[in-house]
Amino acid sequence: MKPSVWTVLVALVSGCVLLAGCGSGGAPTAKTDGGPGKTGESGGGKTLKIAMIAKSSTNPVFSSARSGAEAAAKDLGAKNGITIQIDWRTPPQEDGQVQAQNIAQAVNEGANAILISCSDAGKVTGAIDDAAARGVPVMTFDSDAAQSKRFAYYGVDDIETGKAVMAELAKLMNGKGKIGVLAGNQNAPNLQNRVKGVKEEAAKYPDIKIVDVFYFFPETPQDAAAKVLTVNKDFPEIDGWAFVGGWPLFTKALLTDFKPDKMKVVSVDALPECLPYIEKGVVPVLLAQPTYKWGYESVKIIVDKVQLKKDVPAMNKMDLVRVSKENLGSWARQLKEWGFTNVDPDYLKLP
Amino acid sequence: MKPISRRLLDSPLAGLVLVNLALVVLLASCSCTHVDNLSGETVNNFLNADNLFQMSVRPSFFAIMAVGTTMVIISGGIDLSVGSIYALAGVGTAMFLRWMTAGEAGAAAHPAWFVFMMGLGVCLAIGAACGLLNGLLKVGLGVHPFIISMGTMLIFRTAAFVPSKAESIPLPDALVGGIKATLGLRAGLNPVPALIMLATVAAGAVFLSRTVPGRHIYAVGGNLEASRFSGIRSGRVLVGVYVFSGLSAALAAFVGCSFYGAASGGEASGYELFAIASAVVGGACLSGWRGGAVGAMFGAILIELIRKSITTLRFDQNYEWGIVGAAIVLAVVLDQASAKWTARRLAQGAEAPADKSKEQRSGA
Repeated sequence: MKPSVWTVLVALVSGCVLLAGCGSGGAPTAKTDGGPGKTGESGGGKTLKIAMIAKSSTNPVFSSARSGAEAAAKDLGAKNGITIQIDWRTPPQEDGQVQAQNIAQAVNEGANAILISCSDAGKVTGAIDDAAARGVPVMTFDSDAAQSKRFAYYGVDDIETGKAVMAELAKLMNGKGKIGVLAGNQNAPNLQNRVKGVKEEAAKYPDIKIVDVFYFFPETPQDAAAKVLTVNKDFPEIDGWAFVGGWPLFTKALLTDFKPDKMKVVSVDALPECLPYIEKGVVPVLLAQPTYKWGYESVKIIVDKVQLKKDVPAMNKMDLVRVSKENLGSWARQLKEWGFTNVDPDYLKLP
Repeated sequence: MKPISRRLLDSPLAGLVLVNLALVVLLASCSCTHVDNLSGETVNNFLNADNLFQMSVRPSFFAIMAVGTTMVIISGGIDLSVGSIYALAGVGTAMFLRWMTAGEAGAAAHPAWFVFMMGLGVCLAIGAACGLLNGLLKVGLGVHPFIISMGTMLIFRTAAFVPSKAESIPLPDALVGGIKATLGLRAGLNPVPALIMLATVAAGAVFLSRTVPGRHIYAVGGNLEASRFSGIRSGRVLVGVYVFSGLSAALAAFVGCSFYGAASGGEASGYELFAIASAVVGGACLSGWRGGAVGAMFGAILIELIRKSITTLRFDQNYEWGIVGAAIVLAVVLDQASAKWTARRLAQGAEAPADKSKEQRSGA
């Protein structure tokens, strides 16, 4: 009798099972990676497993946060004599429901702590509370779930960030003009707060009018740049932009389309891709979120709480860095130091 | 008569079930262990009650949606709007319940069962209305369902997004408590989504295989003209399958949004592709006539297991969609090859007795 195609497939998968079993030392179930909320034993040493769930793996700011978390894991692991493992569980695209599921999965697979930037606070609050109830401490960064039982938050004060962007823009526009506000995902609470901050600050300038807030989704650089270019065509009266996230500046699209004498722009974020905008004067001021610190500082806080049993503050404010032509060189060197490999060498030579 | 084991193995779903089981074995054997915080016992990261119950939640939404999607596919159509119907039904229900429970007394003014049933009723009504619109447009305008449902996908998404003002609207505790009920199990184990999935799949399977309207769907999908000549009111059947599709998407939304406690306009983006993929992996043929509700459920579970294996086996999650896509193509190719081989085997089986009787006649 000939075997069916399905039988062959099952045989292949079963073969993989056996190989996987043999490949992992013949006793895969002997590996223990710690219980929820407490560090486990692995290879004779303690292991602290932190599940890190950012909004989306396609956004470069979260890659730098991951680099920061991994660097902190290495530094603090060596300092405290433990193995700190960063378990990256970020969905490819923003989806609060998937994040909630990833939280539950991390708990079920023995994570000792969870670090998350919430795409949709409403969706993940229940999962965060469930994790906390099962003894797994959860910390938020970048985008908070304030109503949940997370033990700490690390990030900028979003309303203050929005205000700072608007204040810088008003300075560049001499307190008059018509502006557009670029935001990304409308469901993200951090972006909602930044927009709120922009509006509050703009209210102080009677000659500045906000034409509208322009949202786009998914939060990809290309979609952001396309949105800005489309809006510019539709609203030719706009002569200033407040970007509450740096998405369009991760492309080169606006370098040629924006004339510095006609359009004033201030943006949050200053990743290596954004620096040519400073150099050419297209975006004279960037308010950088040191996104590397999202990972580094958050892991530090988690280690303090879970490993060293210290009391940690619930709100941990991250300060923005104002980047302009004056400090372009030092900022570029800082980015390089944080592990960014795509910093233009010419900027590194600047004073 | 063939033994039961042989009959089970000859079933078209046998391969799919076996692959699911093989993946479960693979994941269980490759997983590490950890000390459970509540029981203090060392448990397998994959094979532990919390994980298995949690794993049953997500495929529940896709499997429920896939039952309706399978009916559409069997009828020879396609429905790309189910993800948007999910979002609209979820947001519509959340907004309605917020309005209903507003005021000083709030939710306390109504008994929990009433709030739950009102939520379910509104959710299903929205889904049925969306499905009816899809069906009427398809039959009335005679345009290909791909185009119709692509258009309504965008319309329904906008209808969900604009009134909700991009807000994530919380659902009342009556719904969350109902869908997350432990039914006597310990805290953290939530069997309700999986039970609703099983009930929906069972109802879908019985409807498709044991009722006249269900058989009409196969007839229409097999040959539209022939079904018309045989007296089947194909227009009604086609409208009906889109209503079923809308209803199943709305039921998935009710379960999903209640489980996670909130609904937003951006909900379920891309879920239509998962629902279609579940149906196709489960044996549905995009040209119509073939497919079933049980297969769709196993298709949804297989896709979820593959996604799960990416984290459990420590693959880079950036490859998730690529791996799932490759697995879908592989599953469909294998299914087609299996179907061809079975057909050939049946043909050979039919020829053999004929040859034998010919020999007997000549011998006589």
